[in-house]
Amino acid sequence: MVKVKIDGRVVEVEPGTTVLEAAEKAGVEIPRLCVVPGLYEGSSCRLCLVKTPTGRLFPSCNYRVYRDEEFLASTPDLWEMRRVNFELLLKFHRIECWACERKSSCSLVQLSKELLVDGIPVCSECPLPPSECLLLKGELCLGMIAQSGCNAECLVSGGECWGCRGPITREDVLERAFARYKELGFDVKDVVSKAEIYWNSAPGFATVKKVAERVAGRG
Amino acid sequence: MTWTLLDRCCEKCTHSLENPCPDYIECRLSGPLCHDDERCRELRRRRLEELRYGEKGAKIKVPMASCTLAMGAEAVYRAVEDSVKKIGLEATVAISGCYGLDFIDPWLELAAKGMPTAIYANVKPSDVPRILEEYFVKRDVGGAFALKEKTGAAKGEDKVPLLSELGFWAKQYKWVSRNCGVVNPESLEEYVASGGYRGLSRAFKLGPEATIEEILKSGLRGRGGAGFPTGMKWRITRQQKATPKYVIANADEGDPGAFMNRLLAESDPFRIIEGLTIAGYAVGANQGYVFVRAEKPLMAKRLQKAVEEARRYGLLGKNILGSGFDFDIEVILSAGAFVCGEETAMIAAIEGKRAWPRQRPPYPAEKGLWGKPTAINNVETLAHAATIMAEGAEKFAAVGTEKTKGTKMFCVTGAVKRVGAYEVPIGTSIRTLVEELAGGPPEGVRVKAVQVGGPSGGCIPASLLDLPLDYETLQSAGAIMGSGGIVVIGDENCMVDVAKFFLTFTSAESCGKCIPCRVGLRVMWSILDKITRGEGTEEDLQVLRQLAETVRSASLCALGGTAPNPVLSTLRYFMDEYLAHIREKRCPALVCRALITYRIDEEKCIACGQCALNCPASAISKTEGGKYRIDESVCVKCGVCYAVCPVKAVYKVSGAG
Amino acid sequence: MGKLEGSDEVGVLPDKVFEGVPKAPYGLLEALRRVQAVYGYLPPEGIRRAAEYVGVPFAQAYGVATFYHQYSLEPIGKYRILVCMGTACHLRGNSLNIEFLRTFLGLKAGRKTTEDRMFSVEEARCFGCCGLAPVVVVQKPDGSNEIVGRANPRTLRALIERYRRQERGGAK
Repeated sequence: MVKVKIDGRVVEVEPGTTVLEAAEKAGVEIPRLCVVPGLYEGSSCRLCLVKTPTGRLFPSCNYRVYRDEEFLASTPDLWEMRRVNFELLLKFHRIECWACERKSSCSLVQLSKELLVDGIPVCSECPLPPSECLLLKGELCLGMIAQSGCNAECLVSGGECWGCRGPITREDVLERAFARYKELGFDVKDVVSKAEIYWNSAPGFATVKKVAERVAGRG
Repeated sequence: MTWTLLDRCCEKCTHSLENPCPDYIECRLSGPLCHDDERCRELRRRRLEELRYGEKGAKIKVPMASCTLAMGAEAVYRAVEDSVKKIGLEATVAISGCYGLDFIDPWLELAAKGMPTAIYANVKPSDVPRILEEYFVKRDVGGAFALKEKTGAAKGEDKVPLLSELGFWAKQYKWVSRNCGVVNPESLEEYVASGGYRGLSRAFKLGPEATIEEILKSGLRGRGGAGFPTGMKWRITRQQKATPKYVIANADEGDPGAFMNRLLAESDPFRIIEGLTIAGYAVGANQGYVFVRAEKPLMAKRLQKAVEEARRYGLLGKNILGSGFDFDIEVILSAGAFVCGEETAMIAAIEGKRAWPRQRPPYPAEKGLWGKPTAINNVETLAHAATIMAEGAEKFAAVGTEKTKGTKMFCVTGAVKRVGAYEVPIGTSIRTLVEELAGGPPEGVRVKAVQVGGPSGGCIPASLLDLPLDYETLQSAGAIMGSGGIVVIGDENCMVDVAKFFLTFTSAESCGKCIPCRVGLRVMWSILDKITRGEGTEEDLQVLRQLAETVRSASLCALGGTAPNPVLSTLRYFMDEYLAHIREKRCPALVCRALITYRIDEEKCIACGQCALNCPASAISKTEGGKYRIDESVCVKCGVCYAVCPVKAVYKVSGAG
Repeated sequence: MGKLEGSDEVGVLPDKVFEGVPKAPYGLLEALRRVQAVYGYLPPEGIRRAAEYVGVPFAQAYGVATFYHQYSLEPIGKYRILVCMGTACHLRGNSLNIEFLRTFLGLKAGRKTTEDRMFSVEEARCFGCCGLAPVVVVQKPDGSNEIVGRANPRTLRALIERYRRQERGGAK
């Protein structure tokens, strides 16, 4: 057995154990997206990077310990790197939580909450499956363009989303959302005037209006 | 068939492929060793002279490497053959490698007994009859570019400098490139005659452990970029219990602007083959691979030919030189991917997969090709190893710096008069290389920066030209040694555009396996693109820097780990140019298309109409005054008019002005 | 060759096409190269044959074919114009040259081959002939290469026009 110290917590593990497994045993949370033991261990997502006391970085999913070693998994700079990295990953993700079945079981959604990354709509927390979306029933819900983080309380209690946490500012997400409103027969203007109730002085509202106009202008 | 040095001298020689003689190599030059016979010695002496002056006492060498071929060496070769026939010259026409001095391509080397060997530069096929006539018939060397020695026997000798006196030659330290341009790269005999394979013979006499000791003692560090001590790598590989083991020569020279490996492999391939054989012997491998970049097929051809020749003479195969060591080499051609230069990616490529690097550790020395211990060395490193084993570690370590011994080949390209590959001791200053060897910038151009280490390197400003070229100094200046490519950037180039260019390259070459490199480089590129379009903000610079740091530290392999260097180094040294693009919407070097306007100076315009004829957008028309004018609303700013104007009447402006 | 152009029908691969290629997964790169040498590009059927020969799944062979940039999955022109995008060539004007070629040949965005399949224009990696920058290499139909050093729009225009003349001359 070898001793592994992670963020000050010491665990004893079999030689050849990965740092990630050791961390789990020690109760230290390390985010990761790509590792599926036995299927993919390519260290691609780089979110599980940990640091040695000398400052060298290793992906914890891949680095195996054969002797007593120490690692740091939760320093501010590691979290900052994870945030930047995760934002990069999300940058080219087609965010359409309203159409996605996974909702809050999605690891991207979970991580974006943890890392405070912009762009995930309230739909990601909505208790209703896509097939029972309020929008399909003609109820104007702002979930598609509103920042998540409230655990969709209004929807849980049977109402629609009013966007109390403010607008999403990622233009591609807004663009797809407005296109969806249009597709479902809503007037983009109505969406904007409903949003205005809470967002009139919100910093991102100008972007929302800009994108809305752009989408409305299309044939 | 003529007798060659590689053949037996007489019946008394016991050497055969089945029963190889351990002294075979030494015997070729100073033999015979096992018997005493003046006739056998004479046979060798005569043959050595033949190699120099040809069998008929006169020899014409035409360099056949990618660089000279591109300049028409093949036509020159044909012209030489024709002229020799026409004049009725008794001369041997042979091919050779290249000196790496691109500015004299294509060149010719003429040698005849009693005459000084002469090099003629920038030879056109139509010049050939005159040159041959002057040299061989009139015995006049006055038109030569340089002489290898002076004999006093030929006319015009005093008008031509000695090669060894010319700055770009005298300041070099020809160690690993000593044979480039000198020997016929397809002839094992010439390689042996020039001292080749002495290194391998010596390694066999020392044994593998002592061979590694010798390499360690020399202080040789990997010449591929990272600078890991070669002896150490071999030792770790040797110590692994798993078998079989492999050695790989990394000939995937992918850095734009670097061609030292190509030059070496095309001009002296046997040195690399010998080096790889020594590596195989030292680590205990029986199979070696040479992985060659797809864009350099001649390199692969020469190496393949060298392997076949070496096999034919028992220098590859079973029981090499009676040492009991079996070794063979396979040459593998890449299919084109920059990331293959990374060792784990190269292993994947050799295994026939996508060239995806994998996380290290384990290092290839522990788990490499097919999961077995593998030593991967750059071809220049291997050529160094062969030379060190032949000449001794002390001689190699006599030059260089405290931390890094020996020499390195550098390729100097871009805004210099003498583009070429130069071998200098490590620690030589960038200025020496750029100004004294490469001749400095052409007239009217000032050096703004030098980009050292290819697309993963950094841009060092002209003010730091006195920095010595060694691993540690370059790293602290924000660049890397890399493969040794040095691109000189003149003041007509925009540093933001240069940074964007390198990111265009690295983001296209990112293999896509890990996020920071795959996405991060793309996002960084789009920020730079925004800046070059004049739409950047100062906040973008913050984001750019933050992204660069993340990509650098979080990426899986060295491609992503070094790709931000051009951005970070330009941000460090050329902030003023970034700010000019952002604050003033102006490109100081007049490069960034969105920020410049083309105009025609009517004073200078001679109304030839070339601009209008070549303009793809039909934006240029004749004015009432008979001159030409560009309609800025139609102009696509392609710059063709600027390029074709014979009197430079087309000019560019940027920003308010 | 004529029959192969413009269709997915690739005809029969010569029996000896894989001669000497290792019949093991690591022979894949070479096997694909052989197929490309026959057709000038990699049609799906050719990739399948290469995969079968070396004994890997089609998906893996396809993954390799799309990864390396020497392989082309679409037919390429009779004259393949490779514009070096190495550092020295970029600094000395090849980004202008490629733009000129694309405009001059009327290539639409995203296309690398002209409608008549006569010319392809591609960005290429450094050829290591930096002394001649900017460099353009043309792979000609007879398999030979023409290397154009110190290229500029004027010389390139003359080059294309020369090829067009030769083609017209050859057709007669």
